[in-house]
Amino acid sequence: MKKTLLKASVLGLLVFGWISNNSLLAQSDPTGKKPITSTYAITNATVFTEPGKSGMKATVLIKDGVIQGVGSNLNLPIETKVISGDSLFIYPGFIDGGSDAGITTPKEPERPKDFVSSNPPDEIAGITPWRSAVDQYSGEDNKVEDFRKAGFTVAQILPDGGMISGKAAIVVYGSEYSNNVLKTNTALVSSFRGSRGMYPGTAVGVMAKFRDVYQNTKLTQQRGEKYQTVSGVSRPEMTPTYTAMMDVINGQVPVMYTAPSELEVRRAISLQKELGFKLILTGLDDYASVIDVIKAANVPVLISLETPDDKAIKAQKEDVSEDVKAQYSRVKEAYDNAIKQAGMLEEAGIPFAFTTAGTKSGDVMKSLKTMIENGLSEQAALAALTTNAASILGMSRVAGTIEKGKMANLVISTDSLFAEDSQIKHVVVDGFIFDYEIKPKKKATKEEDGAPAKVDGAWDYVTESPAGSSGGVFEISKDGSEFKGSITLDDPAGSGKIKSDLKDINVNGKAMSFGFEVAAGGMNISVTVSGEVEGESFDGTMSVDQFGSFPFTATLNPTLIANK
Amino acid sequence: MKKLNYFLAALLGLSITYTSAQTQKGSVLIKNATVITVTNGTLENSDVLVQDGIIKQVGQNISAPSGVETVDATGKYLMPGIIDAHSHVALDVVNEATAPIVAEVRMRDVVNPFEVGIYRALAGGVTISHAMHGSANVVGGQNVTLKHRWGSEDPADIMMQDAPRTIKFALGENPTRVHGRGRGIQPRTRMGVEAILRNGFNEALQYKKAWEDFNNSSSQKGSTMLAPVYDERLQTLVDILDGKIIIHCHSYRADEIYMLINVARDFGISKLVFQHTNEGFKVAPEIAEYTMGASVFADWWAYKFEVYYSTAFNAAILQKNGAITSINSDSAELIRHLYHEAAKTQRYGGLTDDEALAMITMNPAKQLGISDKVGSIEVGKQADLVIFEGHPLSVYAVPQKTFVDGVKYFDIETDADDQRLRVGPTEMVEPIFMTQEDHRCMQDVELNFSDISQTLFNTNY
Repeated sequence: MKKTLLKASVLGLLVFGWISNNSLLAQSDPTGKKPITSTYAITNATVFTEPGKSGMKATVLIKDGVIQGVGSNLNLPIETKVISGDSLFIYPGFIDGGSDAGITTPKEPERPKDFVSSNPPDEIAGITPWRSAVDQYSGEDNKVEDFRKAGFTVAQILPDGGMISGKAAIVVYGSEYSNNVLKTNTALVSSFRGSRGMYPGTAVGVMAKFRDVYQNTKLTQQRGEKYQTVSGVSRPEMTPTYTAMMDVINGQVPVMYTAPSELEVRRAISLQKELGFKLILTGLDDYASVIDVIKAANVPVLISLETPDDKAIKAQKEDVSEDVKAQYSRVKEAYDNAIKQAGMLEEAGIPFAFTTAGTKSGDVMKSLKTMIENGLSEQAALAALTTNAASILGMSRVAGTIEKGKMANLVISTDSLFAEDSQIKHVVVDGFIFDYEIKPKKKATKEEDGAPAKVDGAWDYVTESPAGSSGGVFEISKDGSEFKGSITLDDPAGSGKIKSDLKDINVNGKAMSFGFEVAAGGMNISVTVSGEVEGESFDGTMSVDQFGSFPFTATLNPTLIANK
Repeated sequence: MKKLNYFLAALLGLSITYTSAQTQKGSVLIKNATVITVTNGTLENSDVLVQDGIIKQVGQNISAPSGVETVDATGKYLMPGIIDAHSHVALDVVNEATAPIVAEVRMRDVVNPFEVGIYRALAGGVTISHAMHGSANVVGGQNVTLKHRWGSEDPADIMMQDAPRTIKFALGENPTRVHGRGRGIQPRTRMGVEAILRNGFNEALQYKKAWEDFNNSSSQKGSTMLAPVYDERLQTLVDILDGKIIIHCHSYRADEIYMLINVARDFGISKLVFQHTNEGFKVAPEIAEYTMGASVFADWWAYKFEVYYSTAFNAAILQKNGAITSINSDSAELIRHLYHEAAKTQRYGGLTDDEALAMITMNPAKQLGISDKVGSIEVGKQADLVIFEGHPLSVYAVPQKTFVDGVKYFDIETDADDQRLRVGPTEMVEPIFMTQEDHRCMQDVELNFSDISQTLFNTNY
């Protein structure tokens, strides 16, 4: 616990409030980690039991990892630890349709002495259907922690590898004292990725090789059946590849094809039509024009939980030729269409879910909000995170909604989930409660427009840059309706301080910004500072030409009152 | 049972029928053109009526049925859509270079209908291209014949579904460099190339027999035979031996050309076309006698050692010896002006207009096995047509309108600056610099054409 506290304080981000219900620890617990109970009630919270249902004031009672009841008149057992949920909002825990969090790329096997690149062993060529994601997974990984913090409670983990990398598994992001595996062998993870420097090296080779593996698995099965029924038949050769592919050709395990682009979506579907396996499309980034194709094929879809970055849009300049403007507008149109795609899937009536493979946990909410601002309904967004994912993973019976008897997976936020300032305060996984630090809520923006913050005076500031911490004083005084001021800073040319005049001082509500120039090495560097004033403290960033942005904080020094 | 049948069908090499929507077919009446039929002479002031994608009438004073648009082509030339027998346009992958034989790979798997090269080809009057696997392997992948239906989103919609199967072979420096020098395996030499071919076909014969034996035995009661290993690579070679696939073989030197002719004769293969064929003029009678001809560059050579002994008279010599001869681009740049390339056979060889134009229409159609459907302006053929300002063999020729199946896909009057079908949402718009890196090996050479075109147009030779 000491170590954890240390870690938590160092990160300043997250505090494990884990409470184990592991009965193995019941006898004695020298570690001090044993929880006093495994029964919790979050009382009088606003509960959204499933997408589409409006929130109702209720108490959620969980015990030993299972939801015992949702309602207002629950009998709470004596051992219940009560968490007051009056100001909290409870949603079903998110389910990640395909995740690479916690997955470590397996070591490349050593090449045999007689290795021939035109006919490599399956394992080296990226054909490893017998591998399980479980063997590559660690729940201790920071990425798992980050996605749990973003609200994910269950994930289908995808093994890393080549064209047939192995079998996916479903894990819960639960206590560190459990292996957290819910189900193995849930899907065969495939892609059009070729093997470097050997057969099959490209998408065209991969498709041919996939057909080959598939058809030969069928023949292997036929031979096996004959061997069982007819005497005098030679022993059929079983390879690890064909053995592991059997449940795929029999339709028990779907093939999960990573198909980011529209053409890859079409390729995966054409392979599926040709060979007849069960298909799940995953990792879709660019799919607007194949929505009807997906719908016609009636294939489950996992889209990437990310939206394209707008760097290219922001880099568009004003002062350009008509030709360039025309090109800009096409990129802009493509961008606008790309962020509308999720909404288009909803409109087409396709119940999609998300995959976080290759995405950043920190962008989860931002991406969801972008999708919602561009046509995706909040209900469909929540369904993609919960019920749709549960149904695609075949686990609707145990997860996806808040109901009696289901796994105790909850996301508990400070406001309705997609609201501007909403933050996730607790994530309950498998009955374990993870607590997260809540940043103080920003005051409503409307008030800010009222009285401008009082900024005149002398401020002590500190800034952090790669060169280290530095600081000084800046003074602001009112000059009629305008502001004027100056700043002292470390002389970039050597030791001592220099002084520079502030310009463009702007105060709007709580927002304050100003700029100044520093002569360094024969050139003038422009610096701008912007941020918010909260009482007598200022929290902002300093951006320096070509060098980037750095944190900049200041406090109003009451002992040095400015001249007016 | 159904599944089994399907599986057997696949083994028999029946190509997969793509379930795709009917491609668009158009109707149009082109009036008062100089109609270059290629097969039946040139008709002054004539009209061509197209209905539902098929040429219905060729003659004079044809009036348009109701609802059929009329295009006035007075003073202009109308010729069949140009066919490029060797191209890599609209392919996401060109080479599966990892094994000497990769007959199992299918270029139709990686067709990209959004590549702007298709539109540029249309602007050069090209309506059909033969999208080929590259030349890194002795036996490359199966090619796909494309119809340039620009704007289609489904790759299947730009494939000419009624074209026969073809496959890429390659001899000489490319496969020996990639496999012999690059990976230390056979083939290291031209002898190795021949050995790969003969071994491959012999293995294919054994494969065919193994399956025949198994299929025969499975009807017998109590048979203990097990199904052989499935191998689409060998099955494709079997299909070649059975005459179901046309070989298109990358080749330069006369000796290797003659070698492949002998291999083909030994294995009873007659569906064979030579590509590039720069020394074809040395073995023109043999090519004429035993193969479906040669597809060549008009005047392009010396880009590697095996391509030095060349002549611009190659196409004419092959043609005069009775070999079916076509002129191809193998390049996203040359594909835009194949009519210039065809005209060179008049400067170097004195071919007639029809002979020269057949090099980019009827003759490539024969080599692709589609000459009953396209390649000339004849009643009953698919309406792939180009209207030219100026005679197509003139250096002043400019294509005006290009039709595929009677649908207009290019019109110089509505040719917008930006014809891309797809633009990326995160694409940086960068200025285009037409610069070229210095190559020491060609220092002081004024125009190193292959390098410029490689830089600009990603050509693959």
